[in-house]
Amino acid sequence: MELTDNVLEIRDLVKDFPSVRAVNRVSFDIKRNTVHCLVGENGAGKSTLIKILTGASARSSGSILLNGEAYTPHSTRDAKQHGISTLFQELNVVDQLTVEENLTLGMEDTTLGFLRKTDKINTMVNVMNSLEPSITPRQLVSTLSVAKKQIVEIAKAVATESDIIIMDEPTAAISESEIKRLFAIIKSLREKNVTVIYISHRLDEIFELGDYVTVMRDGKHIDTRPVSEIKDRSELVKMMIGKTVFEQYTPKEGECKDAILQVRNLSNHKLRDISFEVHEGEIIGFYGLVGAGKTELARAIYGVDPYEGEILFRGKKLPPFPDKVIAAGIALVPEERRSQGLFTILTIRGNVPVMNMRKISHNGFINAGQERKVTLDYIDKLRISTSSTEKEASKLSGGNQQKVVLAKCLFADADLLMLDEPTRGIDVGAKSEIYGIIRQLSKEGKSIMIFSSELPEVVNICDTIYLLYDGRMKATLRNGCDIDSEKILHIVTGGNVTSGDRGE
Amino acid sequence: MNSANEYTLRTQLERSNAVRSNIKKLYIYVVLVLIVAVFSVVKLGQVEFFGRGHFLSPDSIINLLRSAVPILTLSGAFTLLMISGYIDLSVGSAMSLSAVVFSWLILNGVSFLPAFLVTLVMGISLGFLNGLLVMKLRITPVIATLVTLNLFKGIALLIVPHGLSAIKGSATKLMPAWINDYARLDVLLGLPWAFYVAILVIVVLVIVQRKTILGKYAAAVGGNRTSAELSGINAVKLVWLLYIIVGFFAALAGMARASYMSLGDPLSGDGMELDCIIAVLLGGTAFSGGEGSVAKTIVGALIIVCLTTGLMTVIPAFWQTMAKGSVLIAAVVLNHLLVREKVKA
Repeated sequence: MELTDNVLEIRDLVKDFPSVRAVNRVSFDIKRNTVHCLVGENGAGKSTLIKILTGASARSSGSILLNGEAYTPHSTRDAKQHGISTLFQELNVVDQLTVEENLTLGMEDTTLGFLRKTDKINTMVNVMNSLEPSITPRQLVSTLSVAKKQIVEIAKAVATESDIIIMDEPTAAISESEIKRLFAIIKSLREKNVTVIYISHRLDEIFELGDYVTVMRDGKHIDTRPVSEIKDRSELVKMMIGKTVFEQYTPKEGECKDAILQVRNLSNHKLRDISFEVHEGEIIGFYGLVGAGKTELARAIYGVDPYEGEILFRGKKLPPFPDKVIAAGIALVPEERRSQGLFTILTIRGNVPVMNMRKISHNGFINAGQERKVTLDYIDKLRISTSSTEKEASKLSGGNQQKVVLAKCLFADADLLMLDEPTRGIDVGAKSEIYGIIRQLSKEGKSIMIFSSELPEVVNICDTIYLLYDGRMKATLRNGCDIDSEKILHIVTGGNVTSGDRGE
Repeated sequence: MNSANEYTLRTQLERSNAVRSNIKKLYIYVVLVLIVAVFSVVKLGQVEFFGRGHFLSPDSIINLLRSAVPILTLSGAFTLLMISGYIDLSVGSAMSLSAVVFSWLILNGVSFLPAFLVTLVMGISLGFLNGLLVMKLRITPVIATLVTLNLFKGIALLIVPHGLSAIKGSATKLMPAWINDYARLDVLLGLPWAFYVAILVIVVLVIVQRKTILGKYAAAVGGNRTSAELSGINAVKLVWLLYIIVGFFAALAGMARASYMSLGDPLSGDGMELDCIIAVLLGGTAFSGGEGSVAKTIVGALIIVCLTTGLMTVIPAFWQTMAKGSVLIAAVVLNHLLVREKVKA
């Protein structure tokens, strides 16, 4: 068979979700035996595209040609049989087995159920040795570092003659020296007839590694170009964010009030030396990409994750237990609405008052009338669209679910609200309603911290924006003066901070 | 898919869910009535267990309710624990141990009230131990309470003097007759104190489950432990407390049985964990927790008691355990089918 130059041709690919078109008529080619990078902000449609390629999700329309033939994978297994392997962030190795056993897992040669030593094992081990000689086949996988586990997976993919290996942020959890080793291996894959689709938020890696780069934005394909034709990272950043139109931000009038929360030299497994203050009535934004440490920061303040350093709330040290933090006056709207914020099998009435039951009870007995009234109040106040207080939370739309979580936190009488990705996965209308609620709360004197990976969101409503990268606070910006989205993206993708970026 | 199609699909789905939830609400009562009806119709003449024959005769009903006392006392607290998503397999052994300790105290001249209170305190400490293992040391509930099941039973067997099968009176040392007063003495309508205590326990626990913070928090922890903890609920303390409550009521149930039989049998609670689980599942509580009802568990408990008593009159004893096992399978399958609602993929 005459092989075409392109290993993969994507044509007019569309993926629709109930409220949003995640992939919008995307077409591009991936050349054989290259490292093809895929970049874009969160929500640009990269992961959806990858899910379609790996068979985890079905396309709505469009076509994909793999080696010139129509390709419609039904499962990740199916994709693998077609020669597309994926290196997920959650690694797919069994810790308790040896390297050798992992390599042949699912493809063992057997006679009457007994394992048989065949050439297959040798072939696989040889492939692995050629990639990384320091891994011995009899070693338990649990003794390997994350990077070496990745190499085992890559070896397996190469040995099973995959044409394409998709790598989703493989460097997110490994050390600097291991990254170098991994890059050397990725580069060597070209000679082994393997095409790599490489996804990363670290733009420097693209220049070091990539042959081609495809930029996506808002579900659309922006451009595919040889990396050598791209001048520098700022050109790439420009392609990623396009002309972002920010809603008009109106700077807060009035003077700076007292600091309500003071965080000093906060460090833990993810965070490095973070210090900042939140003032009364202020809306603070923490912006950074996935893995920048936003959620970890919220969790540390909330007392869920351990930390070193000092957190003072109204001048007093904050005890590291969620129940005490809530009692002190802080509430968190967690990142994952359904699994962390909501009680999906309970009704709205079962959800709203749960953080402050004392307020509607007497000696442990709940006042059912008050419970209902409070719930109705919040349904009304936050305009939660539901037929009654007795509707199960799982049956509400994403936006309304988020409002229920918000109601829960508001009922806790918190003076400081921490909102982790407050509008993730909800439609535009509900989004702007939630922004309205946040502004209103700030006017009422509540302080708000927003942790977001959507730049327009923080620029839209926050008074002060902190930029996070790799667990570190990289810059502080006052909103309303010089918001330069390019510069911001430059910083949160790991670029150097020049002196001018430090806003204050 | 076009929108009209999607709409019909959704309404179909909603309708099937509505039917499902109605079946879920009512089926347990139907089962109870059916079982009572069947045993009332079956001719019991040849079998002499009840003597006077009819399942619905006042004597049989009173007998039935008397024998129901331990499960009525215990299954309410067990429901609360299961709503929170946890389980205690050691309840039967905790009952046995309580029966043995209670009888031993009485046989050795301790009067009723001190013996009663000491046994309750012991029950609390058994629950405390379970809570410690599960919540503090984070041992899987099934494993931890399976271990304590054997531990408690072992202690009970140790207390019983060598060569005897239970703590009981002998020619030289009589068990005082008043040990029967709690679970046999007719105080009202032919029923003893223990029965009215069980009714009081049920009423209190129904209220606790429906009307108090404890009940709401149990459902919250069972529904989503992460959300509960991020909402400031101390799940460790809460479930630990529920284990203690279960231990307390296991002791109460154990004493009712000891008083009923006027002996401390170290095997008297055997199988109670299974009875409780069947009752709770029949009552529609999800095995994974989050929702459930103490009141319905009581209906489930009555079903088990009727089944046990009814079967006693019609089939040989060694078939009964198997019959009970079959009911458990049916209960689990029904629970699985009804609790899990279909949602749009």
